Amino acid sequence: MMTPMNICSWYDSPPPLESLTREADQDWAEGAVSRQPLVRRPPPRRSWRVSWPRPPREGEGFLAVFTLIFALLAGFLTPTFVTPAVAAAPAASAQACLTCHGLPDLKRTLADGTTLSLHIDAQHFSSSVHAALDCTGCHSNISLTNHPPAANPIASRRAFSIEMVRQTCRNCHAAEFDRWNHSVHAALVREGNPVAPVCTSCHSPHTMTKGASQAMATVPCRSCHSVIFNAYATSVHGMLRSQGVTAAPLCFNCHGAHDIAVASAGVGRRDACLACHVEAVASHRSWLPNVELHFAAVSCPVCHTPQAHRVVNLILYNSTTQEQISRPVGIPEFENLMSPTAQGTGLDPNTLVTLLTTLNTRGVEGKTSIQGRLEVSTGVEDHQLTAAASAISDCSVCHRKGAAAFQSVKVSVAGPGGIPVNYAVSNAVLTSIMSIPSVGGFYAIGGTRIGFLDVLFILAFVVAVGWSCLHLIVRWGVHRYRNRIAEGEEKGQG
Amino acid sequence: MMQRTYLHPLPVRIWHWINATTCVLLFLTGIQLRYVGLVNVVPFRIAVAAHNWMGFILIANFFLWLGYYLSSPRIRTYHAELNPVKYFVGSIRQTIYYSYGIFRDLTPPFRPTVYRKFNPLQAMTYQILMLILLPVQAITGLLLWNLVGFQRMVSLLGGVRVVDTIHVLIFVFFAFYIPAHIYLGTLGRTPLTHYKEMITGYEEQDEKGAEAAE
Repeated sequence: MMTPMNICSWYDSPPPLESLTREADQDWAEGAVSRQPLVRRPPPRRSWRVSWPRPPREGEGFLAVFTLIFALLAGFLTPTFVTPAVAAAPAASAQACLTCHGLPDLKRTLADGTTLSLHIDAQHFSSSVHAALDCTGCHSNISLTNHPPAANPIASRRAFSIEMVRQTCRNCHAAEFDRWNHSVHAALVREGNPVAPVCTSCHSPHTMTKGASQAMATVPCRSCHSVIFNAYATSVHGMLRSQGVTAAPLCFNCHGAHDIAVASAGVGRRDACLACHVEAVASHRSWLPNVELHFAAVSCPVCHTPQAHRVVNLILYNSTTQEQISRPVGIPEFENLMSPTAQGTGLDPNTLVTLLTTLNTRGVEGKTSIQGRLEVSTGVEDHQLTAAASAISDCSVCHRKGAAAFQSVKVSVAGPGGIPVNYAVSNAVLTSIMSIPSVGGFYAIGGTRIGFLDVLFILAFVVAVGWSCLHLIVRWGVHRYRNRIAEGEEKGQG
Repeated sequence: MMQRTYLHPLPVRIWHWINATTCVLLFLTGIQLRYVGLVNVVPFRIAVAAHNWMGFILIANFFLWLGYYLSSPRIRTYHAELNPVKYFVGSIRQTIYYSYGIFRDLTPPFRPTVYRKFNPLQAMTYQILMLILLPVQAITGLLLWNLVGFQRMVSLLGGVRVVDTIHVLIFVFFAFYIPAHIYLGTLGRTPLTHYKEMITGYEEQDEKGAEAAE
């Protein structure tokens, strides 16, 4: 059995959302705008029901319906999109909607049995960037004839969120939607991940204010990635940001705002760092040998998070495309070869060679090779960066036998959305002569030296010195013996 | 009476001593680089810089050697012996001399001349050393010096570990060669004879040796 070590470690506190169907996601991924519900299910037996806080008194219902009609008519006769920058207060029609939706306990039961709060906080909404928009600007499928609908069309909160993203957010925020659609978040949504964020997961449409996503206290990433955010908050970046240094990066500065890629993929981390620290290569060159190689093979946090646990990531990649290969599917040998990882022993050097041979003989396009990178072991450690003065600058921390940096090894392939799937590997692969054909792409002088070559070296030196000494001793002994004989002969002749 | 033969012209002597110095320093800094923690003579960074500079000097010096011999009739000393029987017999004689004859103070089976200054064992060793091992060591050293710049070539060879293993295997050869070469240098008429020859350029031969050379 395969046991991925850490498929999705950066989800530390996922919100409870329902899953998607792949059918709906496919439609979405192709950019088709559909008005059909995302999740097609049999019609619910129970008709939709609004839970009123109290029964409406006589006359209140008429007043509410009259106000709603007026508001909707007003909405149809006015532009439906107002630039948020000029928005100051809710549109008049919104006031009508808030007559009902301003009630705190207004909610409805969805088809899956969960409840959806229909309450809109008027005060928060009035200060949000969407305040000046008419309600129907976003909820355009609501009309007098169908609101409230006779049947419940919402399968779940998750389905409702995704439906709104497809129908509404992208209408005004097409560029952001397109970028998001190419992100790891969207890839995970397409894979059916129930917690991967859509627009409304990060940007609450009724309360969001301008700049909220760019402030430490309200940056939306922290709601899912709280553990990582806490690590960031204590890092040199987080400390500076909290002190008001806006040049210090917040989440989106490194990861992007909507087109968020897998942070651990290849040299992504390095490039994110160098985007701000443009002088880093030059400043490292003044003291660090082979700078380009270090920047390519060693992740920045390896030195700049000194207390981190380090791990050698042996990335299975396609030599032709120079990209990490996806987790092989339908190759039983792969599953069998990976079985030691389930027992915690990790792949040994011979198995790793067999794995590569298997992958290269099973019709995988291009040659599969291994590219090694030294990384820190968790996303939390990736974010615990310290000031440059505290970074590791002692070469012997890594370039020595038994260095802590080379005690943990993993093999990784790309999982859903490009998120690495990791398998444990014995650290013997870094020092075994058997690993030359497999781990050819990773080597650290001193740190991962091959033990067999050390034996050869000692043997060669000892044989050369030993033979020389032995020859010298025999020469000296024979010379002395011959001199004695010669002296004896001279004495005898004398 | 001694006969003096000018065996080692000035360019060869200059090349030899630069080569000897850089090889020894490369060997020592190589030990420092490979065995950080066990050997801590100089800081790692200085060892890296010294190793790199010595490597470049060695490569430049190699071209001095190559240029001199390509433009000199003395290149015949590096010509391979094409008669295997003659080569084999000469090697056996030289081995027997080192193993037995030298203790009995017998006449060496080979005496150098201007155009044939290496005995069969030396000739084989130096041909392999100068035409194969040293160039391979220089090339692998260059690749390791700038792995990113030479990424394509490194990948073609099988990766950095393959390149490093070749480099270390030749380092292992030098672990044998350097002490053996230093010791064999003492097997002249006196322990310092050959060392003096590599300084003055002249080899002194007694009549017995001169006859052997003829």
